[in-house]
Amino acid sequence: MVKYKNPELLVDTEWVASHLADPAVRIVESDEDVVLYDAGHIQGAVKVDWHADLNDPRIRDYVDAWGFAELMSRLGIGNDTTVVFYGDKSNWWACYAYWVFRLFGHENLRVMNGGRKKWIDEKRPLTREVPHLEPVRYSVRTRHPEIRAFRDDVMSHLGGPDPRQAEVRLPAGRALVDVRSPGEYSGELLHMADYPQEGALRGGHIPGAVSIPWSKAVAEDGTFRPAAEIKALYDGQGITPDKDVIVYCRIGERSSLTWFVLQELMGYAKVRNYDGSWTEWGNVVGLPIDNPALEKARQAESHAKARPTTGAM
Amino acid sequence: MTERHVRGALATTAGMSRQEAIDFLIEQAAAPRRHGKPERCDVTLAGGNPGCGDVVTVYLTVDRDADAVAAASFTGEGCTISQAAASVLLEAVQGAPLSEIEGMDAADLMDALGRDVVKSRPRCATLALSTLKGAVKQYRNLRLREEAGLPIVQPQATASPAPRTSAAQGRDPRR
Repeated sequence: MVKYKNPELLVDTEWVASHLADPAVRIVESDEDVVLYDAGHIQGAVKVDWHADLNDPRIRDYVDAWGFAELMSRLGIGNDTTVVFYGDKSNWWACYAYWVFRLFGHENLRVMNGGRKKWIDEKRPLTREVPHLEPVRYSVRTRHPEIRAFRDDVMSHLGGPDPRQAEVRLPAGRALVDVRSPGEYSGELLHMADYPQEGALRGGHIPGAVSIPWSKAVAEDGTFRPAAEIKALYDGQGITPDKDVIVYCRIGERSSLTWFVLQELMGYAKVRNYDGSWTEWGNVVGLPIDNPALEKARQAESHAKARPTTGAM
Repeated sequence: MTERHVRGALATTAGMSRQEAIDFLIEQAAAPRRHGKPERCDVTLAGGNPGCGDVVTVYLTVDRDADAVAAASFTGEGCTISQAAASVLLEAVQGAPLSEIEGMDAADLMDALGRDVVKSRPRCATLALSTLKGAVKQYRNLRLREEAGLPIVQPQATASPAPRTSAAQGRDPRR
């Protein structure tokens, strides 16, 4: 029977409910919707806003080690504290915060399976009371840069192809996963009526990437799918534990969830999250892009031109 | 019509505590005003925030003689702030001169929504306003074409009257 390699990284709502007063545990809510925490949160939980707390406001990067330590201190998180993340959107942002915390070397991290939705669906109580926390000492002792990929890392991962070459094959042992929706992967979305402010100048995907939307690893109730289903999902597309894997999406949050599934739950040896993702790749001059929608449109145009015209009878 | 039609008509959180302002936004997002797609309108324009998946589609009908909003509504999905902002804005612009929308400052809307609450999400707070301004601009372009005797071609972004499939299914567009 296939099992998660590290099942202890996932806790259920009952575990959280029984650790609300545990001083060794800090529960952290991290949402896309910035007002949800204020509308009601798990008793004792603190809020981490991916936008305001984790990101550097000046450059596109995370806060520095000093900033992270200051955040931990403010949230009452010591170096040995077990941090349990939960949030909206099937734990997108919870996994994103988890990934950033891991980047800064925090070791004791968990995710509450099912996130905020499951807690509420089970009619468990929420409070608006914000915990008063005394600052604690925190130091960033080690870092885990090996879980992050930058643009140049991705280019090397591809084998440094010529951007204009027709087809890019990844070197053996490497894999690239695009976790966005199929429409984003195919390049169709830039041409759709509902996305006038898409945020990227080019559509499509990084050559060599396979499309496995993040949502396929999550059930409708927001919980992660069983290990056997996840294994079948990724193995089926050649994303196996022995591979050097890079995952990406649009800004790195959805791919954080996929990173959590592969690296943390399933125990893959080497998975990196390319957080620059499509908002970087699709805007940088001269990078290789595969755009099936564009190819399809070109072919259709070419066929139309080739078709002989017929005069009116 | 007063010159400050929109600013005066904006429902505001002024004088509210932070928690009251949040409750106001939650209520607006849960029961949005001017929500829905009309059978006819002059311009349909969708706007989106790639960062967080908010989508707001504005439907604008113009009173040509008055050069003012005859009716405006929206549909959309996304975070509380983006949907509450759309509700507050679309309610306030009913009957407003288009020139006032064109000159409207995002700061007015952010102040009405509660700057302290929405300041970390300015794109969410102003998505509806930027989309509405885009709709007015598109309306102007359509009128210019009409006056020049050119065929009226709906721009790509307004050509599809149906909501995106994922939105129609009530699912997040990024799933």
